[in-house]
Amino acid sequence: MTFLETIAHIVDLVPVLLRVTTPILLAALGVHISQKAGVLNLGVEGMMLAAALAGVLASAASGSAWVGLAGALATGAVLGFLLSFAIHVLKADLILSGIALNMLAAAGTTLVLYMLTGDKGMSGSLSSGVLPSLAIPLIADIPVLGRLLSGHHVLTYLAFAMVPVVAVLMMRTPFGIRLRAVGESAEAAATAGIDVARMQIAALVLSGLLAGAAGAFLSMGYVSWFSQNMSGGRGFVALAADLMGYGSAWGTMAASLLLGAADAFVISLQGKGIPSELLQSLPYIVPIVALVIHARARRKRFVRI
Amino acid sequence: MIRRTLAPFALTVLVLIVAVAAVLIPVALATPDPIGMIDTFLFGPFRTFRHTGNIVEMATPAMLCGLAVALMFRAGMFNLGVEGAFFLGALATAAIVILVPLPGWAMAPVALAGGMIVGSSACVVPGVLRNRFEVSELVSSLMLNFAVMFIGLYVVNSVLRDPSAGAMVSYRIPADARLPRIVEGTRIHLGTIFAFLACIAGSIYLFRTKAGYESRIVGANPGFAAHLGLPIRSVMLRAQVLGGTIAALAGGIELLGLYQRFSWQGLPGNGWTGVVVAILARDRPLLLIPSALFLSYLQVGGDLVARNHDVPNEVVGLIQALILILVTASAITRSPRLLALLSGKRKEGHA
Amino acid sequence: MAAEPIIRFEAISKRYPNGTEALKGVSFSIEAGTIHAICGENGAGKSTLMKILFGLERATGGTIRIDGQPVDISSPRAAASFGISMVHQHFSLLPSLTVAENILLGQEPRRGLLVDRKAARERVAALAARYNLEADPDARVAGLSVAAQQKVEILKALSRDVRVLILDEPTAVLTPPETDELFRRLHGLRRAGITILFISHKLGEVRALADRVTTLRAGLLSGDAAMGDISDAEIATLVMGTTKTVPPLREPHGFGAERLRVDNVVLRSLAGADRLDGVSLSIRAGEILGIAGVDGSGQRGLVSVLTGEVLPHDGDFHLDGRSARGCSTAALRKGGMAHLPADRFHQGSARTLSVVDNAIAGAHRSSRFSRGAFLRVREMETEARRLISDFSIRCPGPRAPLSALSGGNAQKVIAAREFATAPTFLIADQPTRGIDIAAAAFLQGRILDMARQGTAVLLISADLDELLALSDRVAVLYAGRITAVLDNGPHLTPERLGPFMLGLEDAA
Repeated sequence: MTFLETIAHIVDLVPVLLRVTTPILLAALGVHISQKAGVLNLGVEGMMLAAALAGVLASAASGSAWVGLAGALATGAVLGFLLSFAIHVLKADLILSGIALNMLAAAGTTLVLYMLTGDKGMSGSLSSGVLPSLAIPLIADIPVLGRLLSGHHVLTYLAFAMVPVVAVLMMRTPFGIRLRAVGESAEAAATAGIDVARMQIAALVLSGLLAGAAGAFLSMGYVSWFSQNMSGGRGFVALAADLMGYGSAWGTMAASLLLGAADAFVISLQGKGIPSELLQSLPYIVPIVALVIHARARRKRFVRI
Repeated sequence: MIRRTLAPFALTVLVLIVAVAAVLIPVALATPDPIGMIDTFLFGPFRTFRHTGNIVEMATPAMLCGLAVALMFRAGMFNLGVEGAFFLGALATAAIVILVPLPGWAMAPVALAGGMIVGSSACVVPGVLRNRFEVSELVSSLMLNFAVMFIGLYVVNSVLRDPSAGAMVSYRIPADARLPRIVEGTRIHLGTIFAFLACIAGSIYLFRTKAGYESRIVGANPGFAAHLGLPIRSVMLRAQVLGGTIAALAGGIELLGLYQRFSWQGLPGNGWTGVVVAILARDRPLLLIPSALFLSYLQVGGDLVARNHDVPNEVVGLIQALILILVTASAITRSPRLLALLSGKRKEGHA
Repeated sequence: MAAEPIIRFEAISKRYPNGTEALKGVSFSIEAGTIHAICGENGAGKSTLMKILFGLERATGGTIRIDGQPVDISSPRAAASFGISMVHQHFSLLPSLTVAENILLGQEPRRGLLVDRKAARERVAALAARYNLEADPDARVAGLSVAAQQKVEILKALSRDVRVLILDEPTAVLTPPETDELFRRLHGLRRAGITILFISHKLGEVRALADRVTTLRAGLLSGDAAMGDISDAEIATLVMGTTKTVPPLREPHGFGAERLRVDNVVLRSLAGADRLDGVSLSIRAGEILGIAGVDGSGQRGLVSVLTGEVLPHDGDFHLDGRSARGCSTAALRKGGMAHLPADRFHQGSARTLSVVDNAIAGAHRSSRFSRGAFLRVREMETEARRLISDFSIRCPGPRAPLSALSGGNAQKVIAAREFATAPTFLIADQPTRGIDIAAAAFLQGRILDMARQGTAVLLISADLDELLALSDRVAVLYAGRITAVLDNGPHLTPERLGPFMLGLEDAA
């Protein structure tokens, strides 16, 4: 392979990498916000799944993919609110409530899908929309740069645009500072007159919105259907991405890209003689290995007394 | 006095009734025959002996998975690898009976033992990672479940697959390896007895052995355990090894008890049921038995409704999720007002 | 008309639901623009009084007047509206936020949707300049020294319109030069018109700082005077009391061989209150060594070293002649150490477990309570019943959860467990703090019994009456050093200990 061909090959991989990173990054940013507020959103997986179905249903009912997106976002937000309701009003356990939300979504999506279409597995009979990819007018025509920057999915642009937005939200706005204060010490925040419950509700609703966008990408990004359990653990991968992100939105993006790269790698190897099941297990093994490496690096920074 | 000690129990029953009603009634109203559906769901499981037997069959893995979860939660470990351990335990058991030439009497014990060793890794690996590197056992176990599933499917597809069968299923499990049925007219098998005994043994372990005692102390208050000089890390790891082993054994027993071939195309969900069973039983091994029977009763009701009323049995998943939230909701289960109401106690000065 | 005092306490009482009377009708005034010290032993009621003033607790009787007007201070927010702010002993700062973010938390200046960082920086700079407390607004709090963090905490308190600043033992976490520095700043604040309420144990500091001192003892006002009108000895007497209410329980007796020996132990801890700066001690069999000292003088560090929780940076300690440095808690316990911890719910017990479980834990590996892998449950329950009756523990039964017991009875369960191991060395850390008098007297008697049977006892207590009643010798810990080791006897009184505890004298 010549040098140029190698370059071309790598350039070809970039769109794939960005595509598979998109749902992980969106969800991971959502987890990031919740974790900063001290209410780790373990229900992110279920939120994605429910939003994916809601997007398809809203899109099929209205005939518009954008209405579908709105439906997905709203579903994520509502589930985020329900999770905070369980924690703050019912005083249920944070982790178990998150698990319950995932169970609720797994069962609920199948039930709703069946009741509406008569099919438990796929939403093929519903004609739902696909959200568009965007070609950026002038840049699209530049040889390599065009391939790198243009032609991605609208939600891919959104995901990467959300990184600075979330970073600024968390670091530079009164809202973000208070949110972080609540997560770090609810008691100290309350002494400063901050309403802890309200901040945590807001964090989970925001987290749900981002998970909703991730869900919409799954069912309306490149395909136009919902299938049972289509989130496939990406929410949990997003949890890992957040843990590895050193508590910052940019770090979360780097971790999401790393975990997305495992996904992209798998896709690039497909059809090359490696059993597909083994390939499919890689995106879940890589985060575990990455967490171990991350934990060891983190530990070196502590000095034993 | 008796009423007062029973009040928390009564409250739990009330919560369960609310959870079932909250899901069942709206779903029923969406069907053409609401009364008939509810009737089938609630009473169908008891109309025939076979269906009642189904409850006990399904309670078998539920009890064992619940036990696995309870032992880990008791030690303060939020390890959710039970799902993966159950799947992998069943698969490894199937692989051994299919691939290893063994005399008939040795098949089941050897295969189950092998399944335990292989399958437990889904809980043990997160446990070791927590122990050595302080990686959250919660997150790593969730992901390992998926990795285990795909690797397992690879093994089924490439090693165990019976080309003569239409679907992606394994070769037949030899008849000698299957666990004997013990109740005529049902599929209740030897494993059920084992599950009952395991719950009793779990209770003995937690409350009557040194190791169980230490795990309860670590789970209740790690600071206290440190004060006593207990080996906290190894206690935590031990709980996860035990939990993984039991969950893997549950998978093997389920396979040899009820299946002709290994035919799962994904994670079967028994591990999550185990979480609900354990939480409902408040991590007490003996209470796992009624808790598992109750959830299995819902499962059988759901299956009957699915067959007769065109409502998918995912209804049960909704009820389970609701139970999980409501049972842990301390605003409800520890509400002094509700407890006072149920114990018939008048309002007193102190809480 | 003479100016009204800025704050006037009138017959303030506080009675807790469990019957403890923390304050019994305390009245005094605080003049505007002064530094007013409040002194008292632990449990004298000074913290309760300040919590009432800051709106964290409600008085059960009496009135607070501000500028002569009776006021109702129902929450810290209400206190803030009256211009009252408090700097807590344990800082309420958020380590990952910057100095400016901490100071302006909840009142951030905005520009559009964002925090106006420039305005924030300027506000902090103006605040810092006004009160002469320099701070880098962009520094992360996590990276600051304790003294710098305290400045931030004070600035945070001053950032809202403040007239009265409460400082709760502000020097506990500081080194001497940092303390001097703080005092200069506080004098500056007074010049800026702020009234300061200063809570302290340390007489030297009170002398250096305050204009007026109020002393509390056992919930009652014991003194109130301008600093110029009162001597240190008089303040010490007012704080400690003159008459001993409890006659010494100690009978003279001989001691055995040296059981515990601590040689020059150094612990450099992040928390100043844990620091040890070359501590040496010796306890013989049958001897009770009392550790006197105000809270946060290094007691916690000493206990965590002796229980194997942390490794000292330097020095060694020996149990029965064998070096125990680097031994785990388990090894030390095996070697005869027992520990009645000060924090009975985080360390001493598990509230959700039963009385039996709490009473036997630790001894469960012995052949008495186990056979092979199994516990001898009946044996455990029999023993628990025996301990319950032996220690007169009032509880619904051995299987009741520990949470069903009162504090005194829970402490008895813990003591019963620790004493039952027949230790050669016992650490009793605040053994009777916060429990009822009967239970306290009972436990004191048991500690004496242990010594009589040859146990070497290290007794740490904030209650000087208890120390003087039980100890054979008293060592005084001040700022991580032993400042005196005194033989107990009729001549040893709180007044004699006071100067050592308060850092005025150093015999070492």
